[in-house]
Amino acid sequence: MMKKHPRFAVVGHPNKGKSSIVSALALDDTVQISDIPGTTNKQRSFPLKVDGKILYELIDTPGFQRARRVLAWLEKHDVSADKKHDVVQMFITEHRGDSQFNDELELLEPIMQGAGIIYVVDASKPYGKEYEAEMEVLRWTGQPSMALINHIEETDYSSEWKRALGQYFKMVRTFNPMTTNIEQHVSILESMAQLKEEWIAPVKESIKLFERYQEQRIEESSQVITQLIYDALSHVEELSLSEEETTTDEKERLEEQYKQYLRKLEIATQKKIEKIWNHDNLQKKQTFLTFKNLDLFSEESASVFGLTRKELLITGATSGAITGAGIDLLFAGHTLLLGGTIGALVGGAGAYFGFNELSEIKVMGQLLGKRYLQMGPMKNRNFSYIILGRALFHTSSIATRSHAIRSVAELSMENAFKEKWLDDSLRTSLEKYHKKFRSLDEINNETLKEYETLIKNILFKLIRH
Amino acid sequence: MNLKSYLDLYELLKNDVSSREERRAFGLSYGLGKSPLDQVITWTSRYYKKLKSPLLSETFSSYMYGVTMTLVIIAFFLGVFSGITLLSYNGHEPVNVVYFMAMVIVLPLFTMLLTVLSMIRSQSAQSILVHISPAYWLEKMLGLLPNAMQKSIETFKINPLLSNWIVIKRSQLLAIFFSLGLLLSLLAVVATKDIAFAWSTTLQITPEVLHRYLNLLAFPWREFIPTAVPSLELIEQSQYFRLGDSLSDEMIHNASKLGEWWRFLVFATLFYALFLRFVLYLVSLLGYHLALQKSLMGLEGVNTLLRDMNEPIISTHALHVEKISSAVQKNIQHIQKLDTSYDVVQGWAIPLSKLTVVIDSMEVITPNIFEVGGGNTLEEDSEIVHKSFGEVLLYVKAWEPPTMDFLDYLEILLESVDKVIVCPIGTEEESYKAKAKWVDIWVQKLSLLHNKKLWVKI
Repeated sequence: MMKKHPRFAVVGHPNKGKSSIVSALALDDTVQISDIPGTTNKQRSFPLKVDGKILYELIDTPGFQRARRVLAWLEKHDVSADKKHDVVQMFITEHRGDSQFNDELELLEPIMQGAGIIYVVDASKPYGKEYEAEMEVLRWTGQPSMALINHIEETDYSSEWKRALGQYFKMVRTFNPMTTNIEQHVSILESMAQLKEEWIAPVKESIKLFERYQEQRIEESSQVITQLIYDALSHVEELSLSEEETTTDEKERLEEQYKQYLRKLEIATQKKIEKIWNHDNLQKKQTFLTFKNLDLFSEESASVFGLTRKELLITGATSGAITGAGIDLLFAGHTLLLGGTIGALVGGAGAYFGFNELSEIKVMGQLLGKRYLQMGPMKNRNFSYIILGRALFHTSSIATRSHAIRSVAELSMENAFKEKWLDDSLRTSLEKYHKKFRSLDEINNETLKEYETLIKNILFKLIRH
Repeated sequence: MNLKSYLDLYELLKNDVSSREERRAFGLSYGLGKSPLDQVITWTSRYYKKLKSPLLSETFSSYMYGVTMTLVIIAFFLGVFSGITLLSYNGHEPVNVVYFMAMVIVLPLFTMLLTVLSMIRSQSAQSILVHISPAYWLEKMLGLLPNAMQKSIETFKINPLLSNWIVIKRSQLLAIFFSLGLLLSLLAVVATKDIAFAWSTTLQITPEVLHRYLNLLAFPWREFIPTAVPSLELIEQSQYFRLGDSLSDEMIHNASKLGEWWRFLVFATLFYALFLRFVLYLVSLLGYHLALQKSLMGLEGVNTLLRDMNEPIISTHALHVEKISSAVQKNIQHIQKLDTSYDVVQGWAIPLSKLTVVIDSMEVITPNIFEVGGGNTLEEDSEIVHKSFGEVLLYVKAWEPPTMDFLDYLEILLESVDKVIVCPIGTEEESYKAKAKWVDIWVQKLSLLHNKKLWVKI
């Protein structure tokens, strides 16, 4: 049955990266990718759907197993070019249920139902004559086709492949599913649209939606990160006291509970981010997530993701000066700018001396008889930059990771990462919100939205450029 | 929109009652053209039935109602008793109206000022102005009493803005009932006793000055009910000095007139303690409503809900989950070094020219070299099988995994010869040395044939 939307069958020799290409183009990490040939033995559809409506469909197929036999069967029928398509259909009809040609039927069926052909080869290995039977079979189908050159390894035999593929396909493109980004992705989609005139409009619409999809995910990530920062900075941990006197053990227990909460919060956020970017099955180095070697509260974290003592001093002083300047403005400058100066000094000093502290531990509820220890909200100004830096690093790493990659993700930190997203003006803007989050005051939706916009812009910068 | 909507939405979002698809379907069916707030409220009213009983909103409302009613009754009786105490008349000394005026004019004005300030500072979670409210502390004290209902809601963390407005609103209500108690006691005492009102103060205030002030205080009703404004004559007659041995003659002479103060006191209570407070109560209702809106829109998960409703669902993933292929075996005879000569040497999809180079490089001698597979037809391959005998060394491209086409050929070949050694080779650049990972794939695939004549060079 012919389907109205464009369909593209990704076909080729076994183990040439068909599933990797589908995985990367469909942003789906559930595709089984293996070195063992025959991992894919059923066609699998990956539709781009908008509110349930399919705009285009990618179909992953098994590799050719008996191409020469199929071609031999086809060539027994001496027919004119316009009848070759029918002969392929006859082959399918005649061999349906024949396990010998299971893979060929699986890959030919969508093509015969109108799917465009995307023939995948690996140009890191030399061209061989055995591919010709496959390409010849595909030519018999008469369907629009293009070749996609993949590079599984470093070596390059592209020129010989291009010469050979040029004999069979009008369009030959290079695409590396492991290193693809949104621009390359869109570029491949544009090429696919060219296969058939009536596919141009729907695929172009798909490209727009695809870009919107990317934006949606950046927005969702910003929302999740905003919630993380707000929750982390405003969290208050409590521990009921049984005795009159507070023991060191109780204080330590509370502090550990407080840290544990923040760690769990970060892990939960990372999971959400991975889900947003369809990386649910991502394998990561657990040491990174459990902070065994790099604790959220270690000095190393602070220097890599957070601000240095000097940067913190400047940020504290700037935000203090802004508050003080407000007072100066209120008095039309009659304060001789003392407000700004004092604000800067107080802010700077607070930032400097509060560098190593997380939060105070207080005994609460003494008057009412229900005594408990309380820790939080976060007092450490640097912490907000540490947790934000880590969240941004994780999100940008996940967002730019191809879905074709199955290796364990080593989210190793870079010292230069902070410079990629944080500058002085942004630091001042962020500090304004971090201060509000730490205050425990009611944070309205607009404030969170403003912060979210800041995060969104950072993520755009990190992911799209 | 009310507190119930807020609590129901809180619970719905917490329990995640609808899928992304359901939310989008709801957005498309009911949400188009509506404001975000309306969308959220409509969604809540549609889905709250999915929540398990008892609803948090019911428990919380019931708790709130109970606490408010208790506090209102306390405030009312406190007002009644305060009024009776202030108006207590022992027959020897007149009742000083200054106390009552302080209670119905000064105190309400002062607390109303605090209320206005707390309204302005309502954003603050730890607003002192809110925390000094009697309503806040009375509720705290009630919270200390054993209460099963309170336990069930203590995990619920209400939005600080909303919480502040609940306290502000409730404080106004308590103040109104307190003032009603005062008014009732005033009316009751006036109706049941003959009270001589007087005024007394240490401050150097002349009757003229007091008259001016009282006239000013009575501005809302002085035009309509002039009898409810104390005249200068009454003020002069009712001035009381504590150091006198007894009541002055003038006071005794005008005893019947001294009671006239009650009208002023009633109207002062009605206007300052009740009317203005009621206005503030209405303002607090408005503020509470706005806070409710803000809090509702600020609930965790609302933005996601709105986005789910209004953003199209774009998906690219597969329709069905892929089945993972079964485990592999590696059970095959293998050699690590090739012999120096073989009866036949074949190359699967390896051109003769290259095959010769490979044979030379591996120092193998053979009288029969054939290219199989690749560009050959099936018939050509069959002929080569017929020509093959003895021990066959079959070179394959290690990087090209074995296809069924190859296995078909191999099975036929194995039937015709004594032994086949499959030797995977690398590319020319790799000096024909196959990478271990590729050889491994060949081993796995060839193991499936379970043929004793078959060997692999690893």
